Amino acid sequence: MTICGEIQPDRPWRLSRKMRVILFFAFEGAAALLIGFAALFLSFEPGWSAERAQPAFLKASDARSGSLLLKTEDGYADASRLGIDVDLAVSGPTVRARVTQIFRNPTQNWVEAVYVYPLPSGGAVDTLKMVVGDRVIVGDIKERQQARLIYEQAARNGQKAALTEQERPNIFTNSVANIGPGETVLVQIEYQEPVQQNGHEFSLRLPMVVGPRYNPAPVVQSVDFRPDGGGWGAIKSDPVPDRDRISPQVLDPATNAPVNPTSITVRLQAGFALGEVKSHHHAIKTESPDGNTRIIKLAEGPVPADRDFELTWKPAAEKAPSVGLFREHVGDSDYLLAFVTPPSVEQSEKKPLPREVIFVIDNSGSMGGVSIIQAKASLIYALGRLQPGDRFNVIRFDHTMDVLFPTSVPADREHVGQATSFVGALQANGGTEMVPAMRAALSDNANLGDANYVRQVVFLTDGAIGNEQQLFETINALRGRSRIFMVGIGSAPNTHLMTRAAELGRGTFTHIGSVEQVEERMRGLFAKLENPVVTNLTAKFSDTAADITPSAIPDLYRDEPLILAARLDKLSGSVEIKGRIGDRPWVVTLPLANSAEGKGLSKLWARRKIADAEVARTTRQATPDEADKTILALALEHQLVTRLTSLVAVDKTPSRPEGEPLKVTELPINLPAGWDFEKVFGERQRLPVTPTERRADAGEAKVQVAALKRPVPAVTAAPSTVQLPKTATDAELRMILGVILIIFSCGLFAFNRRQALLP
Amino acid sequence: MRRGIALLLALAGLVLFGQGGYIHAKALLAQVLLERAFTETIATGRATKPWSWADTWPVARIEVKRIHARTIVLAGSSGQALAFGPGHVENTPEAGERGVTVYSAHRDTHFRFLQDIVIGDEIDVTRSDGKTFRYRADSTSVVRFDASGIDALGDGHELVLSTCWPFEALTPGPDRYLLHATLIGPVP
Repeated sequence: MTICGEIQPDRPWRLSRKMRVILFFAFEGAAALLIGFAALFLSFEPGWSAERAQPAFLKASDARSGSLLLKTEDGYADASRLGIDVDLAVSGPTVRARVTQIFRNPTQNWVEAVYVYPLPSGGAVDTLKMVVGDRVIVGDIKERQQARLIYEQAARNGQKAALTEQERPNIFTNSVANIGPGETVLVQIEYQEPVQQNGHEFSLRLPMVVGPRYNPAPVVQSVDFRPDGGGWGAIKSDPVPDRDRISPQVLDPATNAPVNPTSITVRLQAGFALGEVKSHHHAIKTESPDGNTRIIKLAEGPVPADRDFELTWKPAAEKAPSVGLFREHVGDSDYLLAFVTPPSVEQSEKKPLPREVIFVIDNSGSMGGVSIIQAKASLIYALGRLQPGDRFNVIRFDHTMDVLFPTSVPADREHVGQATSFVGALQANGGTEMVPAMRAALSDNANLGDANYVRQVVFLTDGAIGNEQQLFETINALRGRSRIFMVGIGSAPNTHLMTRAAELGRGTFTHIGSVEQVEERMRGLFAKLENPVVTNLTAKFSDTAADITPSAIPDLYRDEPLILAARLDKLSGSVEIKGRIGDRPWVVTLPLANSAEGKGLSKLWARRKIADAEVARTTRQATPDEADKTILALALEHQLVTRLTSLVAVDKTPSRPEGEPLKVTELPINLPAGWDFEKVFGERQRLPVTPTERRADAGEAKVQVAALKRPVPAVTAAPSTVQLPKTATDAELRMILGVILIIFSCGLFAFNRRQALLP
Repeated sequence: MRRGIALLLALAGLVLFGQGGYIHAKALLAQVLLERAFTETIATGRATKPWSWADTWPVARIEVKRIHARTIVLAGSSGQALAFGPGHVENTPEAGERGVTVYSAHRDTHFRFLQDIVIGDEIDVTRSDGKTFRYRADSTSVVRFDASGIDALGDGHELVLSTCWPFEALTPGPDRYLLHATLIGPVP
């Protein structure tokens, strides 16, 4: 403006020809900036920013009004304590796990303890035992609501009772009622799971802690209630209806020593001569009574339950057995479990198809700490592995989302370089809105002429969300020809989410538990991505009717075995497995008579069938009612804990004297190792979210009377709510800004003229 | 010199205004082409694309006679489809079938008329097979986009028209306005 003032009023135009050009660009830049800033400020919509003020996490203490466990700065000195002992017996293809939880009540009150704990997502929980003094009470399987009622009744009557419920396929709760002052109660659950096989390596994973999950906060406002269905949508519309049940208290590692000491013993009988046995995250000591057996214990005694235990073993021989066939006879039926590793065929003769790889990276707050470092390292490794003929894109998300390139770009040096620096600059912060990112990753521009590319989505996350169902529905609706490869990051990823998402997306799940594993695991994943091995798989039994699971066998990638469970009418004939390796047919025939005796196969079969029914429910192949009926029948027949069934054990002799109140203690869990407490829960000072009026009697308020406990929760079916698309354009915003600018410029014109007219 | 600034600002203003106007013009123009394609769809019984490069096609027509509102619904609810017309949200049933049919559109273009609908209005939906079903508007609500509470496979025959809320807002937000309607029956 000062330049304008210096211009001679009598020759305003001629002098400034050159200046005008300069000023033209200067002001154009300024105008663009102005508009940009205006758009920037206006695009922070008020609805969102208002929400951000309140904490995004609802914790048990927020939502469960009747059973607050109040936390004080001095820790949980008076609250109930818990010890965990895990005994894993591996025999051939299966793992039988016995988890003993020791509840001790150091208080002067009768308490009820509630403990939320994770299990492997393929695990089939079938036994609950409660040890009181020298008596052992064995639990029965019951429909979930009925089991709840029995438990509540026993709790009121002063009887000792234990209840095992499934909250998610990999999250369970144990409740124990009426633990007397100074008393100790043992609760033992047992589960069965299949051994994982990958190439020549076998493995098992024992999840130890439930990572806090980001549960999208519900906002429901009603303008007008429906006349017929009073309160329509008020409860149903919460995307995480059971948020209070899967959000236990979490201790800040900075102010509390790790709790829940855990000891682990593994009896490993692989059925073949063992080679290397390795624990990835814990120091172990190993004994070998004979060549086929190992006994593994934690080297430093009990550890805090803050990271998953992972054990892998290899056969002494160079190659793992490529076929395994096991049988079990239960009731009238025979159950069969088959492992078949397809032969690896040299791919070099055939040029692999070019690929379009979409990388999605979660940089939300739950990824803070080591996780984001692992995720970034994994992604940067992956970018380096792209071949010149490939195309790729990168998406990052927290509660917001960025897509690096408008469409997929060729993996040349320049683009890969750009992507690498984009990934390198990511910081972990904010919430986890996974669904929009998945939608973006699955939006496939096949019409742009890249339909010849094999489309793969590599999704790196810890899966710490509670609205899994929405993600599954998104995948199911939009997956098209894309394959989804989940990469679980951190010490305690949500295995259920990862496994199911990979299954629905016809890809695989890879877990990266530490920075050291990044290269090895990502190399394995990329070997798979580059080489799909066997497609179009089918299995047929020669002379018996068989109920096979999985019913649609997914594609196999390199080093992956086919795992097949079946229920047979009679054990005779053979099973024929057919598929295509590359463009050649592949057939293998296994005579059933050669199978070896195995344990717990019927339960594994039932667990898989239940998982299939849950998938069918998600994919709308079965109505919710049909699916639930199938699940209930299987669960009751095979004594399994599921979404619809629970185990309940009640001691017949009452132990709590009448008149003594029962108090509820919710046992805190550790934050998974490597998580950053402040990133996950916001600033430390804001926690605990304790109602101030209760602080006065903090000593007494740590536990609460059972009578005030939460109402009996109904069986909460996973929500199947419709996600509504974005339905606003910025047309009017643009038009209004446009009008403002025009008016402003008119004003300026008028002002100019007046100035020019002045002498 | 100042005139130069003024000119520039005026130009920027015109461009912005033009972009806004373009969104509206596209929305209006597309409906004409869609109307034509939909008529052809009913006549031939085959999904017809409104223009050759379209990635969506008309699937239904919504009509509210009282306020003379009429619009063609497209398959899918992607941002691209919504620029041209309301979208039939994926995984919800067709009109007239059991469950909750959900159509979604922009509040400032195709579903601006939602604010004029009052409880009791009749909404006619014509499907691509030519059958028309009449619904009665019976309630409205405001929910968050990811917490609609709509169970698409629920009992009953319902229709939900959804758009962004509030109507007057200038920037996109997480809230959605829902108009619930219940099936009265087929229109002969």
